[in-house]
Amino acid sequence: MGDVLDQSELEELLRRCAGGEASALQALHRRVAPQLLAVLLRLLRTRALAEDALQDAFLRIWQEAGRFDQSKGRAMAWMVSIARNRAIDLLRAARPMLMLEEAELAEAEQLRVPGPADRAEFSRTQAALWRCLEALGAQQRQCLVLAYQYGLTQQRIAASLSQPLGSVKSWVRRGLESLRRCIES
Amino acid sequence: MNYERPELLDQLAATHVLGLLRGHARARFERLCGTRPHLLAARQRWEDYFLPLALALAPVVPSAAHWPAIQRRISLTDGLPAPGTRGGRRLSARRWWTLAAAASVIAVALLIGRLTIWSEPEWRAMAVLAQSTATPLWRVERTADSRRLVIHTVGPVQIAAARSYELWALPGGGAHPVSLGLLPMQGHIERTLTAEQRQWLLKAMQVAVSIEPAGGSPTGLPTGPVIIVAPLAIVTS
Repeated sequence: MGDVLDQSELEELLRRCAGGEASALQALHRRVAPQLLAVLLRLLRTRALAEDALQDAFLRIWQEAGRFDQSKGRAMAWMVSIARNRAIDLLRAARPMLMLEEAELAEAEQLRVPGPADRAEFSRTQAALWRCLEALGAQQRQCLVLAYQYGLTQQRIAASLSQPLGSVKSWVRRGLESLRRCIES
Repeated sequence: MNYERPELLDQLAATHVLGLLRGHARARFERLCGTRPHLLAARQRWEDYFLPLALALAPVVPSAAHWPAIQRRISLTDGLPAPGTRGGRRLSARRWWTLAAAASVIAVALLIGRLTIWSEPEWRAMAVLAQSTATPLWRVERTADSRRLVIHTVGPVQIAAARSYELWALPGGGAHPVSLGLLPMQGHIERTLTAEQRQWLLKAMQVAVSIEPAGGSPTGLPTGPVIIVAPLAIVTS
């Protein structure tokens, strides 16, 4: 975990990518591709789709490295955001055609929010999210995790929890409000 | 949506980061992030807040072919040593661009192959080809102008000896199916459509896959069993 989060090293690699050094992109690939693939696999569920989306993400990282703001110490967040955006575009475009519904529902039922043991390795700043997620009501927490990690729409979340869409929308909204207040307190 | 009210803006940014903004709202939010620093800042704050959920997942090492595929796509082969070797040409692909821009028209013309690779078209989902509820076999994407297709195999594709899978546009309205070429058995292929194929594809609402003799239908129409009919995703600009 520490490896992936060595922001200064990632920033240095991005800076070299911006300067056109392809070997820096390869080094970046070695460092972050496994974590990004895990994110994409959870969202897209199919290995081939996830690896394709990861290729797209790396292409984008290479093309946009020059625009990355080095001053904010958020190299990993930036790359995760590029990968997630690509996956969400693919999901929203393909979802009506991919007949994933049943597999998806089964998976959502098995959802488990990471427990204390999973968190031991997280730094204090990261621990804020876990602490604050835990402080939410179970349904609010589940809605946020199903959306972020699994890429489910609010309609899908409502279906997988067998709850009205209106309730899900309100859990998402109130969950986000509480989360922000908790993290920023 | 009022983009200036802080609490609304914050909700909007968070909703975007969760992936819950749809269609136009999503595109509009992304566009506005380019011109409104406070919106971008809110989005980045939420990306940072949720990052631990992404990092909590156990890493999955990509297949060995993954990096070489990226390398091909960004035509970096000139700048990168082959795996397992040292050295290689140091002129990076990006510097090629600068040189090409400065070079004469003739030199630019010579580089067209490279430039084509660099101006990677924006691929849009066209169809996912699956038999009923089974795992998809292929994923088809096209450029916004429908002049080019890229067909990815999604899972292992098997077929009897001396047979090929052929892709067809189904224009409907009594028109015959129009071949869009053979489907790959592995990896992916990219194909530029003829003007006629493109014209029919633009009229089609569905595509189909048939089993044909190796090399494709000898008649120009499906001769073997049609194993898949799939709807086309609407191309939005």
